[in-house]
Amino acid sequence: MDMNVVVCVKQIPDPTAPQALDPATGTLVRDGKLILDDSDAYGVEMGLQLAEQSGGGEVTLVSMAPNAETSGLRTALAMGAAKAILVSDPLLAGSDALSTAKVLAKAIARANPDLVIAATESTDGYTGTTPVQVAELLGMPSVTFAKKVTVQGPAVHVERQTEAGFDEVECPLPAVVTVTAGVVEPRYPSFKGIMAAKSKPVDQLSIADLGLTAGEVGAGGARQQVVDVSAADERKAGEVVVDEGDAHERVVAFLEQLKIV
Amino acid sequence: MDFRPTEEQQMLRDAVASIAGRYGHGYYVERARAGQKADELWNELGQAGYLGVNVPEAYGGGGMGISELAIVVEELAHAGCPLLLLVVSPAICATIIARFGSEAQKERWLPRFATAELKMAFAITEPDAGSNSHLISTTASRDGDVYRLNGTKYYISGCDEAEAVLVVTRTGTDPDTGRGRLSLFVVDLDTPGIEMTLIPVEIVAPEKQFTLFFDDVVVPADRLLGVEGDGLRQVFFGLNPERIITAATASGIGRYALDKASAYARDRSVWGAPIGTHQGLSHPLAKAKVDVELARLMCAKAAWAYDSGADAGQAGEAANMAKYAAAEAALAALDQAIQTHGGNGLSSEYGLADLWGMARLMRTAPVSREMILNFVAQHSLGLPRSY
Repeated sequence: MDMNVVVCVKQIPDPTAPQALDPATGTLVRDGKLILDDSDAYGVEMGLQLAEQSGGGEVTLVSMAPNAETSGLRTALAMGAAKAILVSDPLLAGSDALSTAKVLAKAIARANPDLVIAATESTDGYTGTTPVQVAELLGMPSVTFAKKVTVQGPAVHVERQTEAGFDEVECPLPAVVTVTAGVVEPRYPSFKGIMAAKSKPVDQLSIADLGLTAGEVGAGGARQQVVDVSAADERKAGEVVVDEGDAHERVVAFLEQLKIV
Repeated sequence: MDFRPTEEQQMLRDAVASIAGRYGHGYYVERARAGQKADELWNELGQAGYLGVNVPEAYGGGGMGISELAIVVEELAHAGCPLLLLVVSPAICATIIARFGSEAQKERWLPRFATAELKMAFAITEPDAGSNSHLISTTASRDGDVYRLNGTKYYISGCDEAEAVLVVTRTGTDPDTGRGRLSLFVVDLDTPGIEMTLIPVEIVAPEKQFTLFFDDVVVPADRLLGVEGDGLRQVFFGLNPERIITAATASGIGRYALDKASAYARDRSVWGAPIGTHQGLSHPLAKAKVDVELARLMCAKAAWAYDSGADAGQAGEAANMAKYAAAEAALAALDQAIQTHGGNGLSSEYGLADLWGMARLMRTAPVSREMILNFVAQHSLGLPRSY
């Protein structure tokens, strides 16, 4: 069976560059160049492997970004994705997680995928809620925190990371699966992949193209608001254990107190 | 005039930086000191097509130019892994073969340059003929279906890891000028009659230097590149890429040194303030930064001039200037980085002093600082020829 996989990818400000919050909205400033969220590279790789294993499928990227940004998409296209759907619309400014999920779900539906893959959470937003909202809006089951994904016939088998170990989950397709950084090792794009990326189609859509209105998405549709931003507590200095012959006992006692051992 | 890289060039830079960053200078030095090669790095880059970016697409290469190869090489050096063989194998040998090889020769070698499975050394320098190619005394004489090569080549990089060597020989003498008529041959390094001797040098690099002796080495006539006697023109075609890729390597070393120095100067505190606060350290680093960036600009211009087929004079002038500027800038940046680190600058741990030999080499090779100044004086300024 040809597996057509949609991978949700987020294009984010470079995490290694200095970041700023918009003082008015408390949200991240995203005016500069955006790059592929590293956590999405795992999903792209997983999607590519599943499509390749199926023999004839392909990976379609779905992304929502300001200013028709494609830099991050090109990176994923260079890795081997076949095409991309990019939703970019000034009316999307101020979107919350649910608004984003509505947009992504509409865009994903156009690709009619067998499987939707997303990261467990983005590196810049960290809400971790968008993929399951997408699944709900698409009427698909969702399996989160996958550390291993295989497709057998009409079902996806997932090893789902838990605190204690992992669950084995089987789920009918189509489905939404979120993957952790442990799922596969992302490939580097080859030079041919880089050269081919430019000519791969990026279908750029507005919210009107998706049949959405300004009241449903963007700042107008947002139900979530950043009401306050405060600095994180300074990390406190650690405890220095000087070895006087009993250091190992004190370290173990400390770890026991934290319930780590 | 648009100085922005293309999206592909930026992605190429990011990808190579990311791969090379995973290996890093520690890997490079460890391999070099153990007398080993940087095979894992070379193979990973090669398989992804990054070492064949300038090989024509029809032969499986990236179909781009020296600009793209310069990006690859610079990012490798920036990660602390300046690979000397890249100056030779893809920059000189692949370029010359792609330009002057017969169809059969191109099909034979270029696809393996594209994946970098083929490493080819380049042999022009001789003990008695340094920068003066007209004095080359290694001869190739036709003998039926073969040529017989005799002579000695000097300071040939990477002979122990290369499969073949592109050799510049003399096949005749111009009766009017008395100058040698040169011809190029691709010779397998395991051909009987070839001997190589290691030249110990104080450069910490995986690539070693060799003297190559040719004692009646029989080479099939189909290993002659292009037409007999056309060698000088062919060589010149490969020398601008050689200078540009050397400049890119030096630029990368300069950036590596400046990254290390500025990180250290931000972090290291003496008397309550980071040492980078003091202009005695910050200004020399700032100056080194300016010089490295100027060199990179000239390197990009030279690569552009070469790739766009601008007149050879313009490309040659820019390539020479880029090589000069980048070598000087890299040495100055490395020197200042060592100075910034105080005693640590000479320690093995900080990974600076071990690059001195490599950076210093670039003031000397592939063409010396003085020969470039001669060239600029004569060709750019119209001054009388000095030699």
